[in-house]
Amino acid sequence: MPLTFIDIERQKSWKIGLFFIILLLMYFTSAMVIMLVAFGDIFEKDFLRGVFSSFYIFITAAVLAFVHFYLLSYDAAQNIRENLDAADLDPEDELHKRLRNIMAEIHVATGSKRKMACAVIPGQAMNALAVDDFKGNALIVITEGLVSRLSREQTEAVIAHEAYHILSGDCRESTLAVSLFGFSMPFIEKIMIYGGRAYIFSFILFKLGYLLNLFISREREYRADAGAVRMTRNPLALAEVLHLLSKNWRGTGLIGSELEGLCIVNPRLNQLDETEGFFADLFSSHPPIHKRTEILLAMAHASITELDVKRRQGAREHMPKETEKKYYALDAQYVWQGPFSITELAALPWFSTLTWVSDGSETITKASQIPACSEIFKAQIEQAEGKTTDYLCPVCQQHLFKQHYEQTRVYQCKYCGGTLVDGDKLPRIIIRRENAWAEKIKAQARATLKENQQNYIIHSAEGKNKIISLRCPKCKGSMWRTFYSYAYLIEVDRCICGAMWFDKDELSMLQCMIENKMAGEESGAN
Amino acid sequence: MVGLIVLGCIGVIIAWGIVTFNRLVSLRNEVQNSWKQIDVQLKRRHDLIPNLVSVIKGTMEFEQDTLEKVINARAKAVSAGNVQEKVTAENMLTQALGKLFAVMENYPQLRSNDNIMQLQEELTSTENRIGFARQLYNDLVAQYRIKQEVFPNNLFVAFFGGFKKEVYFEAEEEAKKAPQADISIRRNN
Repeated sequence: MPLTFIDIERQKSWKIGLFFIILLLMYFTSAMVIMLVAFGDIFEKDFLRGVFSSFYIFITAAVLAFVHFYLLSYDAAQNIRENLDAADLDPEDELHKRLRNIMAEIHVATGSKRKMACAVIPGQAMNALAVDDFKGNALIVITEGLVSRLSREQTEAVIAHEAYHILSGDCRESTLAVSLFGFSMPFIEKIMIYGGRAYIFSFILFKLGYLLNLFISREREYRADAGAVRMTRNPLALAEVLHLLSKNWRGTGLIGSELEGLCIVNPRLNQLDETEGFFADLFSSHPPIHKRTEILLAMAHASITELDVKRRQGAREHMPKETEKKYYALDAQYVWQGPFSITELAALPWFSTLTWVSDGSETITKASQIPACSEIFKAQIEQAEGKTTDYLCPVCQQHLFKQHYEQTRVYQCKYCGGTLVDGDKLPRIIIRRENAWAEKIKAQARATLKENQQNYIIHSAEGKNKIISLRCPKCKGSMWRTFYSYAYLIEVDRCICGAMWFDKDELSMLQCMIENKMAGEESGAN
Repeated sequence: MVGLIVLGCIGVIIAWGIVTFNRLVSLRNEVQNSWKQIDVQLKRRHDLIPNLVSVIKGTMEFEQDTLEKVINARAKAVSAGNVQEKVTAENMLTQALGKLFAVMENYPQLRSNDNIMQLQEELTSTENRIGFARQLYNDLVAQYRIKQEVFPNNLFVAFFGGFKKEVYFEAEEEAKKAPQADISIRRNN
């Protein structure tokens, strides 16, 4: 019987509270047993007094452990930010701006109880974590891969899930449990060395406590899913996200093992997390993804096959439209070039209002007469009026224009078609996939790859043997020409300030290569 | 002995009474707060609309009536007096904006204008925030009502008074229908 999110939330809250109390009782009991056995002579004299003394000793030890852990995790948010290389949201990036707006929306939806910050890990993995430290800072960390691949509703669902963890105190409770456990286990193990059957009892009790901890962690994930649905009222979006996460890289190796409890999906690729059965359920910190998805889909009255169909349809929308109109243009040497699509026409450096254009039929008109082309010119003027920057193109010394490419900011030269990309923006561009690649770019990429692979040396321009190093537009330093990497042999110019210069089409070719995984072929010549 | 037990019971009842009263008062205040929060988001929408209209006016010359509807609805919403007028005016503004966005789909050249895309993103976010604020208000009203109507508490409320049953924020019937975009081409070539 599919339960509504309200029922699930309430039931799980009861369960979690009850089992947490049982957990604390278990810790205290085993500690008392140790006291009894280790310091048994206290009890011989006066039993009641012995109980009290051991109680005081244990309380002192627990308080010390808690203070120790408090000080360690006081600034956990900042520590995690540094460890994971998480960066703040970029105000010029469209998707980051959307993310900031989504954080504000969830803030409204939760009644504005706590201020939550957001940071992004630049990487292709797809995962999200929530951190709440004792200083009062709440932080939600998301990977760039997740930000770039989700729609607006799906991102809302992920943020709502993480926000629920913070608001319901899950993060702080699990810190408390871990601190108790972390303190006690080494202590117990040391005592075990001295042997004794009595210690085995407390040892077993502690191990059971560990399993109980994992059980509580799983129940928390279910409750957070229900809470996220209560906030967004959209179970289908969260189901889609979980389905997508189960099929992609979740950051195994990127996110350390101590942080896996905080993530939305366990980054450790563990067969236990995916299989069912008694032992699998017992030892994992997260419930199996398909079970979570099932519950959510039951709320949405949908099925998994629908999700797969939707995903494939979405992928198909990214294919290039074959029915786009193609045009031919007459260049300065009176040679017909083409066929071009509208966007390619707009990118031609010699295209102007006086260029002769034909759409393949017998009519040949000036570009200004074709309404589609006049749109291009209008857009160009609008772009030119606002967006020239002070940066000069290293090749043609003209002003660079600020452009949006893959929803982030790059600088382009209108004359030679080259692009300047900041160091921190390039990973985002590589991860994001907005267009499908035209066959021309793919063919060019393959040809460049093959050609560069023959020699592994940089081709000098125009047949001159000396390579003239370009000047970086941002910091005016010298750029050095190198391959992007030995796997992807595209020539780029790099500067120490992190900026990279791509010649015409090279950025598209690089993206195309990485997305289509074009590696070089082994050739006998090398 | 019996006297102690009776005193104990009375103590428990008084304690329960205090706790219940405090919870009801807190909920009443939270409901009022969340109602005001909706206003905050509505005002944000009022401030964003003039910018959007002025930017797209040049491109969409043939959609004067849609734009005018938006401007009039906004003026009415800003100057609305009591709560009922406000709710009606805001719903009409939502409808007018919905029609405007549907019509903007016919003008693909608007997509290349960054200002318009940013304003549209801000307006979408604002609409979402208004939705979430209303959702929160309704959730809190439900909690408040449940707390009032559950068994021991309803006796308490009947005795004390001062707690009224709040009203849910309901969508008007017309707002439930999706706006129909008029996609006929009106050019006088």
